[in-house]
Amino acid sequence: MSTLILTLATLLPLTIALVPASAQETPRTGGVLKAATIGEPPSLDAHFTTATITYQIMWHVYENLYTLDKNYDPTPMLAEGHTVSDEGRRYTIALRKGVKFHSGKEMTAADVVASLQRWGRMHTTGKAIWKQVEALEAKDASTVVFHLKSSSGSLLYALASNYAAIYPKEVVDGAGDGQVKQFIGTGPYRFVEHKPDRHIKLVRFKEYAARPEAPNGFGGKRTAYLDELQFIPTPDIAVRVAGVETGEFHFGQTIKQDQYERLKKIPQLEPRIVKFGFWPTAVFNHKQGLMTQKKLRQAFLAALDMEPIMAGSFGHKDFYRLDGALFLPEQPWYSKVSLELYNQRDREKAKRLLKEAGYAGQPVRWLTTQEYDYMYKSALIAKPQLEEVGFKIDIQVVDWATLVQRRNKPELFDVFSTGHPVVFDPALSVAVQCDWPGWWCQEDKDRLLQEMARETDPKKRKVLVDRVQAIFYEDAGKVKFGDAFALDIARKELRGSFRPLPYLHFWNAWLAK
Amino acid sequence: MKTYLLRRVLAIIPVMLVVATVAFVLIHLAPGDPASVIAGPDASQEDVAKIRRQLGLDEALPMQLVRWYGRLLTGDLGNSIFLRRPVLEAVMDRVEPTLLLTLWGTVIAVLIGVPTGVIAARYHNSIVDQSCMGLALVGLSVPNFLLGLLMILCFGVWLGWLPVAGYVAPDAGLVKHLRSILMPSLALGLVQSAFIARITRSSMLDVLREQFILAGRAKGLAEPSVIYKHAFKNAVIPVLTVIGINVALLIGGAVVIETVFNIPGVGRLIVSAVLRRDYPVVQGVVLLIAVAYTLVNLAVDMAYLVIDPRIRYR
Repeated sequence: MSTLILTLATLLPLTIALVPASAQETPRTGGVLKAATIGEPPSLDAHFTTATITYQIMWHVYENLYTLDKNYDPTPMLAEGHTVSDEGRRYTIALRKGVKFHSGKEMTAADVVASLQRWGRMHTTGKAIWKQVEALEAKDASTVVFHLKSSSGSLLYALASNYAAIYPKEVVDGAGDGQVKQFIGTGPYRFVEHKPDRHIKLVRFKEYAARPEAPNGFGGKRTAYLDELQFIPTPDIAVRVAGVETGEFHFGQTIKQDQYERLKKIPQLEPRIVKFGFWPTAVFNHKQGLMTQKKLRQAFLAALDMEPIMAGSFGHKDFYRLDGALFLPEQPWYSKVSLELYNQRDREKAKRLLKEAGYAGQPVRWLTTQEYDYMYKSALIAKPQLEEVGFKIDIQVVDWATLVQRRNKPELFDVFSTGHPVVFDPALSVAVQCDWPGWWCQEDKDRLLQEMARETDPKKRKVLVDRVQAIFYEDAGKVKFGDAFALDIARKELRGSFRPLPYLHFWNAWLAK
Repeated sequence: MKTYLLRRVLAIIPVMLVVATVAFVLIHLAPGDPASVIAGPDASQEDVAKIRRQLGLDEALPMQLVRWYGRLLTGDLGNSIFLRRPVLEAVMDRVEPTLLLTLWGTVIAVLIGVPTGVIAARYHNSIVDQSCMGLALVGLSVPNFLLGLLMILCFGVWLGWLPVAGYVAPDAGLVKHLRSILMPSLALGLVQSAFIARITRSSMLDVLREQFILAGRAKGLAEPSVIYKHAFKNAVIPVLTVIGINVALLIGGAVVIETVFNIPGVGRLIVSAVLRRDYPVVQGVVLLIAVAYTLVNLAVDMAYLVIDPRIRYR
């Protein structure tokens, strides 16, 4: 008997050691996730706003025709697939059958047409792509057809944008020109309630029609392991951190990066560096005022030393990268063209350019805000660098609502602070658009962007990106300070595919205990 | 007395009119508007302008003000631009946490502040007095949000005794409610208690110098009776005034404490409304706070009648 027990005692740990790690990581169904967010979303209608927090919550409820795979290329979601004909001017998209909305109704082409027409009418990305659209029709109950004015390399990326959500037609019709009154989608979670300043509650949608393929980036199968998701607005960062430390929250969003070293040491926590972040920028006013002069812009760019600006704004070296490219190294559009003009730290050149421009010491009005700490700090740190070469900088600190209003009035500023999120389609990037505040309208650049929107060959698009980037630096369109990454924290028991991916999501996530 | 009461209640109307106008003008004068906040950072000027038109914000300000007065006459405070529901409903949703925070904070402040002030006055100029006033000075100097964050760290994170944030309503369980409200109430109450202690001490010292106190002692009354029965009753009126002012201020929402502890109260509502330029909410809540303030003042004045029978209103 004792021999038997000894044998078992020896074999058992060996058996466990031989079991693959993935079997030990079997997702567990059940539980209520509590995620502490930065605050309240301005709207729950994805077509109505460009606010990040809106899609971070509501894309558990809504889905798109396409989403992004692990290479950040469009992959079908509600679509089955598509064919392109008529020299790239016609996209015939087959819809998946048997996909239900949370109301129980099956999704049809009529819902898709109504939703995308609304998105094309209301949303910034939708409006940009709709300039290329001649018509969108429902060919039959499960096919939609886009008729374009010319070929488009951007259409599928636009349809994969987080805001191109598909709603039931009745919800669209009931909204008119206002926001939707019901929040119904086809996603793995359905909307239950929104109690402002308390929570937004979503529960598993039992009749969710998941894609059959394995998860692939944001595409493939989405499984709702968690019974319920609660997004709890928690404006104070210290309270978000404390809540995750004590287990009252499982996840805390957007933590100050200088907390990273301390949080790494806490055994129950897993800090997450969100690498697909954004780039902090100073936007010039090209329409009116001092910064309409190219030499002044070039002097501004030449004077800057980006290392202290980024280090001061983000607090920890793991949360920023000095790189002046318009896209990230992880993206196929990444370019090294003209990067010698990024982070020049050339004071003599800056002084020379100021002299050539005939700059007489007029104050450069720089609008910034403390509501986004990095915007404020980047302006503060850049100011003495610029003043050392002869600029006079007048930093005007206002709240976000004021900044967003004033940046639409060219008479009120010369430079303003903002951050540009990473985009996946170069032609849709607001960073290079003419009609966005700052109004960087440059003939060659605008022509190249139109060509890029029509171009479907990725290699040719990349060449166009190179040329746009060259103009971005030669013309000093804006100042990119660098690539910035965010810090989120999660409890170790929260597992799932959200960890390696940017764009927060909790499908395919579970609580281990 | 009834005439006095009626006069005081009717006096609320001109107060409301002035407050309504000032609130409207101030929030509309602030730069920024709700349209740009709703549209989000990547929206174009055109998108923002369209939302502005939908919200009626492109109308001339005098027209918007007249419309606001018109709605007030029917008791309609308007609809929140962001919450898309009536302002009154949004406020009523948040009134419970704010009132309970006010109640518990005031109870703590009074239970600590008043006895401390009385004891300090009783042992005037002794080590007891100096210790009490020293603690009161510390209490007045420490911002309540700092006290709150320190308590979260100590009782929430290190000791794990209390939840770090969030609000549980009483109907979800009295014990859970008390646990959720204890730290924020302490953060508010301790700071207020310092102020009440100082006022109580000062008022007591004034009364203890009165002739009737000397007469009472000469007649052989026991010292505790002199202090707690005779002097305190006469000293309490200024203390009541301060308590009333504090309660009225807290009804407007202890904004910072509500934010730190994630309590969905009136204070957080109004701060979010200001930051997002949710005009109807700002206007409506400011008006309601003004009414509450006036009613609290009236209640305090009525309490004077109970405490001091010499006071009569005509």
